[in-house]
Amino acid sequence: MRVEYINPFVEAAYNVIQEVLQSDIVRKDLYLKKTSHPVLGVAAMVGLAGDVEGRVLIDMSQETALHIASTMNNEELTEMDELAKATIMEMANMITAQAVTKLFDLGFKFDLTPPSLITGSNMQVSNANEVEALIVPLETPQGLVEINVAVRERM
Amino acid sequence: MNQLTDEKLKDNSSFVKVDFSMVTFTLAGKDYGIDIMKVKEISKASTFTFVPNAPPFVKGVYNLRGDIISVIDLRVFFNLQVLDNTNTESENMIILRLQDHTIAVIVDSIDNVVGISTANVQPPHPLFGDINIKYINGIAENNGHLYVILDVERIFGTGEAAEAEVSAESGTGRRPPSAQAPVPGAGNAAAAPGKTAEESPEEELDLTFIEETLVTFASFYPSPVNQEWIRNRFSSWKAKRGENVQLANKEDAEAFLSSFYSPFTGTFWNNDFADKIASFINKDSKGNFFVWNPGCANGYETYSAACMIKKYFPAVNLKIIAHDNDLIKISMAPGLAVSKPGEGLIYEGFLAESTGGYQFKKEIKDSILFEYHDVTHNYSLPKLDMVVMRDTVSFLPSDKQKYIFQVLDEYLKPGGLLILGANEKPLEPERWETVENAGVTAYKKK
Amino acid sequence: MKATSDFPNINERKLDGLRENGEPYRVLVVDDSIFVTKQIGQILKSEGFEVIATASDGLEGVEKYKELSPNVDLVTMDITMPRMDGVTALEKIIEFDKDAKVVMISALGKQDLVKKSLLLGAKNYIVKPLDRKKVLERVVTVLKS
Repeated sequence: MRVEYINPFVEAAYNVIQEVLQSDIVRKDLYLKKTSHPVLGVAAMVGLAGDVEGRVLIDMSQETALHIASTMNNEELTEMDELAKATIMEMANMITAQAVTKLFDLGFKFDLTPPSLITGSNMQVSNANEVEALIVPLETPQGLVEINVAVRERM
Repeated sequence: MNQLTDEKLKDNSSFVKVDFSMVTFTLAGKDYGIDIMKVKEISKASTFTFVPNAPPFVKGVYNLRGDIISVIDLRVFFNLQVLDNTNTESENMIILRLQDHTIAVIVDSIDNVVGISTANVQPPHPLFGDINIKYINGIAENNGHLYVILDVERIFGTGEAAEAEVSAESGTGRRPPSAQAPVPGAGNAAAAPGKTAEESPEEELDLTFIEETLVTFASFYPSPVNQEWIRNRFSSWKAKRGENVQLANKEDAEAFLSSFYSPFTGTFWNNDFADKIASFINKDSKGNFFVWNPGCANGYETYSAACMIKKYFPAVNLKIIAHDNDLIKISMAPGLAVSKPGEGLIYEGFLAESTGGYQFKKEIKDSILFEYHDVTHNYSLPKLDMVVMRDTVSFLPSDKQKYIFQVLDEYLKPGGLLILGANEKPLEPERWETVENAGVTAYKKK
Repeated sequence: MKATSDFPNINERKLDGLRENGEPYRVLVVDDSIFVTKQIGQILKSEGFEVIATASDGLEGVEKYKELSPNVDLVTMDITMPRMDGVTALEKIIEFDKDAKVVMISALGKQDLVKKSLLLGAKNYIVKPLDRKKVLERVVTVLKS
């Protein structure tokens, strides 16, 4: 992934999650993964277009997703109903949008698509070729959230 | 009764001065002994660190309270039948204190310390036993056992130039293939043809260890890419260090590797070097010119290559794709600046003054894409005209080295130029045409 | 979302969501996320506003506006939506009613799209994550203008 894209995603993820959860979160070391499939159980995905092609997703366990959705809605949610899903998708949307805004300031024009949710039942995110992903792990009181960015430069 | 007692008395070594003690053990059912003065200790071990590309009798290396020592399987060394000892059980090891170094040998079982008189040691008969008699000091009898006393200095000492050919003149008549071949060197089969094992088995072992510790301490992976350099370096290193050949720590490894790195590592190319590289490129180059620069680190090499192409081939549409998986280094690469420009360097004419120094001009910056990327992961490259990959491949494990060359196979155009480290060679030299210009070597894809 | 003041003042301050005559302002919320819709709804209702309808994409938003007109005092419009995005929907609503008061809600700030919306006639915009105070401020500003 282009070096200049890294900070915007890292900062946006940190800022948004910290704000919506209203608590301290810890960013762990970034790393590159050979494949970009989400692995934790629940993933909300936002497509990217423009200077790049690819997508961002936030990956977390179902338990974490429920905790986070509960916190954001100020009520306890016990299953991944429409509201919980919408909440997680909105988090992905906000993170991606904030990153895209920062990238815009750096001169990079990205577009984003509306978010979608992938859960254990439909984890098969088809990738014609294995694409490398940048992983930004964030430790929150509600559990681990991984930001998973897989983009390809348009050459 | 008396007769027996008399005979017994005659054989009783207590009547004759005991002046030699040996540790006795068994190998393939036979009894052997080693001078106790050579034995440091007895041990049992179940885990060894496997050493790749080592001779078959080298089981691996073992950490003996901080000392890394080689572990030789004596049964394999002498080409004896290895008992069906399962791999999961502990092996019996005798740690030998030799003149120059310490090693461990694996045997079937260790018996006891036996005291004998050297007067009772018989010289070995050429037809005796399963192993080469040059390794045998003599034969001794004690308590109904016949012990073959091994000359371990002869077997494992340095300066032993002979190949460990095992003669199986005993009745077994078994000649396993490895008995016929000379001890293979620490390098693998793809080592330079025509090179015989110049080093003794012990030196090959030393080299093997050094190669292993280079991996551990410096993430440097010996392979056909750098094999020639390693062997040459080993010679000069040995000469300098004498007994203390082994790399004990990171500092040692760095010292060993210090002569490996290519010129202009961590700095910009000078005009002379750039000129020579440029001379390998087709003068008529035009249109898109794609360059891949894996392992670009801080970007010195990347910017140097960019300036070189822009200088000598201004008409081409240059695009350099630079990769590194060191996040900190490559994060700094897009902003690489020059505080005080030097003379005779390739960036002349490509710098623009800015606050606190000199930045690269837009045309140079725009031609480079720095990506945080692990080059062993999938990536769709465009068809490449040139690859600058200096001192990168040697720091990848051998399966990844193969992978990188496969990538070149797929994406580098025929006739495309490959720049490797000054002490590196392509994995399969026959697929490349070597080009040279006054000490600078590069490769063109056939 | 927790905010500093979730409850109305004890000192019977007039709620921002009520007109002089005590009638609530009527708001149409257009957003494809039920979470955001719920959030905006909660913030507005707590201040006395009435959410008369919601829509989950631009097309539905335009239709509802036309249906309910002239009883819509304010529209909150998300920018990124499927079927018809917020900017296009804004355009159509303004076409229909040049005095329509539309506030764009976006996770994207400083974007061309936000600028474009303002040029097309949106009165203001709010960037997500939504902050209760900010939302109310902007909404009130627009209603009073």
